[in-house]
Amino acid sequence: MSNVTCAFIIQRPPYKSETSTLGFTHAISWQVVEMLLDEGQNVVPTVCFVGEGVLNLYTNQKAMENYGVTSIESHGKNSLLVDLDMLVCKEDLERFGIPEDRLLDAEDMGADKKLQIVPYAEIQKAMESCKHLLFF
Amino acid sequence: MNLGVFINDYKSTVETVDRLKADKLGFIFVQNGVFHTTLKEHGKSSPLLDKTTNLYVLAEDIATRGLTEADVDKRVKVVTYSDVVDLIFNDYEKLAWL
Repeated sequence: MSNVTCAFIIQRPPYKSETSTLGFTHAISWQVVEMLLDEGQNVVPTVCFVGEGVLNLYTNQKAMENYGVTSIESHGKNSLLVDLDMLVCKEDLERFGIPEDRLLDAEDMGADKKLQIVPYAEIQKAMESCKHLLFF
Repeated sequence: MNLGVFINDYKSTVETVDRLKADKLGFIFVQNGVFHTTLKEHGKSSPLLDKTTNLYVLAEDIATRGLTEADVDKRVKVVTYSDVVDLIFNDYEKLAWL
């Protein structure tokens, strides 16, 4: 039985609205969805960051300290911790002048996964090959 | 009139800004508007920073997004909530949100 592939495309900037946060939380919830599938069938989610969506990925966010809300960085780290593939558009990082060392990782939490900085063509492939495509 | 403009989104609002006429014009960048003061899209600063010399950005909102004062364009003054209250009561008789 074939797996169910989902691509979550995060294109909105962080905070202000909940859009990008919902992208993370929907992607993380794939484990729950799996219970509803047929025996042997799996969900394979991929989270992609394009355009202003890459602005969600700065490390050292102080949302809890300043506003008492869970930072988007925490959602990103939890996503890596549950082994989500997270693709970041290389061209958009360059467009905004964001160096790789300013991006979050979850090494301190013991995650094996890391953000994958890829050309937009790779993200396009993920969008074409998935069964379900969701924009946030 | 002295007009203070809160900019709370990262999008181009230059056309609207160009139509605003004020004796003293100030921009207060808050929420996602703070990216105007930190990003150099395609190597260029936000055109909003060329429109006035009275530029302020909220410290809490840059820190929330993982940014620091070092990321902020040198033309922009980093201010706290308390400073913003002072600006509202002392410097700008009218306020707008873009």
